[in-house]
Amino acid sequence: MTLRLNTDFAAGLFGLLFAAILWFPREGMGRLSIIFPRAILVIMVALSLALIVKAFIKPAARQVEIEGDPRRLVIMIVVLFAWWYAIGVLGFLVATAIVFFGLTWYLAHIEGPVPVRRLAQWAPIVAVLIGAFYLAFTEVLSVRLPSGIWS
Amino acid sequence: MDMLLEALFSILTLKGLVTILCGVTAGLFIGALPGLTATMALAVLLPFTFTMSPLQGLIALGAVYMGAIYGGAFTAILINTPGTPSSIATTFDGYPMARQGRAYEALAAATIASVVGGIIGVTFLLLLAPPLARLAVVFGPAEMFWVALLGLTLVASLSSGSLLKGLLGGCIGMLLSTVGVSPIGGETRFIFGIPALQGGIELIVALIGLFVIPELISMAAQGRGALPESGKLQGGAGSAIMRMGRHIFGKPVNLIRSCIIGQLIAIIPGAGGNVTSLVAYNEARRFSKDPSSFGKGNVDGVIASESSNNVMVAGSMVPLLTLGIPGAPPDAIILGVLLMHGLRPGLDLFTETGVLTNGFILSMGFASMFLLPVGLLGGRLIHRVVVKTPFYFLLPSIAMVTILGTYALRNSMTDVFIMLLLGSVGYFLRLIGIQAAPIVLGMILGVIAEKGYVQTMLTAVVDPVPWLRLFANPLSIVLACLVALSVATTLLPGWLERSGRMAKVDPDEEKPS
Repeated sequence: MTLRLNTDFAAGLFGLLFAAILWFPREGMGRLSIIFPRAILVIMVALSLALIVKAFIKPAARQVEIEGDPRRLVIMIVVLFAWWYAIGVLGFLVATAIVFFGLTWYLAHIEGPVPVRRLAQWAPIVAVLIGAFYLAFTEVLSVRLPSGIWS
Repeated sequence: MDMLLEALFSILTLKGLVTILCGVTAGLFIGALPGLTATMALAVLLPFTFTMSPLQGLIALGAVYMGAIYGGAFTAILINTPGTPSSIATTFDGYPMARQGRAYEALAAATIASVVGGIIGVTFLLLLAPPLARLAVVFGPAEMFWVALLGLTLVASLSSGSLLKGLLGGCIGMLLSTVGVSPIGGETRFIFGIPALQGGIELIVALIGLFVIPELISMAAQGRGALPESGKLQGGAGSAIMRMGRHIFGKPVNLIRSCIIGQLIAIIPGAGGNVTSLVAYNEARRFSKDPSSFGKGNVDGVIASESSNNVMVAGSMVPLLTLGIPGAPPDAIILGVLLMHGLRPGLDLFTETGVLTNGFILSMGFASMFLLPVGLLGGRLIHRVVVKTPFYFLLPSIAMVTILGTYALRNSMTDVFIMLLLGSVGYFLRLIGIQAAPIVLGMILGVIAEKGYVQTMLTAVVDPVPWLRLFANPLSIVLACLVALSVATTLLPGWLERSGRMAKVDPDEEKPS
């Protein structure tokens, strides 16, 4: 999908917004703590303004190309954040089992319909994969993974 | 010499060689997992060394360190994910090579470069440790500031087409590195009332987010795996190894230059291995006859990155063994093991316990050699897994390992959220021309630059013009001149092209993403 967008202007605007977010919160910060970030913020604002000026005088590109299906792109981002949220609620093991299986089904669906028999064949593979990583992290690397409501 | 021979015989036993083999293999697989760094690999395997003799314990840790740094190249090449921060630069050309069906060539080049880099690093360490260590202590805050600025000039070659956007990316990275407790003032900055942000944004978290998540999103949108069908191994593995061997040794200048850069940066405490590969990559590109091919699958980029980061493993031992200053984070763990066994860094380490120290150094040389068989076999195995696994299994698997690796860093789900947020924003930033590499470079060097600058200003508080302290000694002046030279050599060709005094070489030049 092709989006009409002046990339210089977008980058400059992003730089200004980012700088604005970090410019205001300075309560309780001494000179030694603020001197460096403040210097970088000033440079960043200058660069952003230069990009915005360039956007009108000599723009680099007026369109961006999103490769693939934009709907799948958005769904993937949503799934990743949902995965993060689900781990906090359901614990790593349950949340990962659900999201992993669901994501596998959704992505496999791109190549065509996925019969129930095929889904059943995947279940043990997914279980072994998740189980192996779960055990490796909890037992070998001694990492306590979130257990959510089961704790 | 007697001690060296005695050390050699003490590791040339079945037990010694098996320890090296197991250490290299374990390090390789841990290093290949995104989020699990060489420091973590050493920390995890540390308890296993408690029951070993001092020499065997040090041999194991040296081998794990060497294997982990090299292991980072696997995922960097095959799925565009640097396993460790030191392999960031490997992604720039390694992944494009893999996408062009030259994955095994890239892996073979990375392996040969790592082996040579490792051996050269060990040779440097054996021969030049004391004089190089003296050089390390002359780097004060002002010099570190200039070193960081010198590194930041890399932004020019890491930015995609637009220098302004590259510099903007560098600034974003430097500002991200200031989140949390200030290293000098001690106050918290930019945490927006979120206590979990007090510890700052971990470099690895940002690295995984900015490199892995955009790739995962892209793979899902396009419904493809990490490597296309053309990414399958073409031609025999043996011929790929021979071809790469001939390329590397036929034109060894890139390899030698990268090893020297790796060694020089490795001895500067605080600079760490994260920077070595980026500097070596930049120089390889700058001296190349075809700089426009970098970022599009030029094997010289992989060679520069991998040889320099493996030189760093032994190179960073120079200040550690002679002065007790860890050159890179994993060295701190090795220092702990040395102290645990009653070994104090300094001259005594090379005289009174010379057999042990030389044995440890030599074992790293052997570990480098073991990278060749282990790496080439392991590389083939991992390559096959990446190509053969259907993308609908590969993608959730990478996402799961990414979440696990990020969480395991500090047992923090906030880190996972930051990783996902940076990754999602990073995808859109990539679309508008702000690449991940300058942001990560800004994060690495921002901390060094800030510490150097603020500490210098503190020491110059009674001076009439405090900032002149940045030029107070000859080494600072030399480094400042190098920064100016680096900026000039970066900007001059563009200026000459625009003013019509030089022919335009490649107007569509695309730089690494």
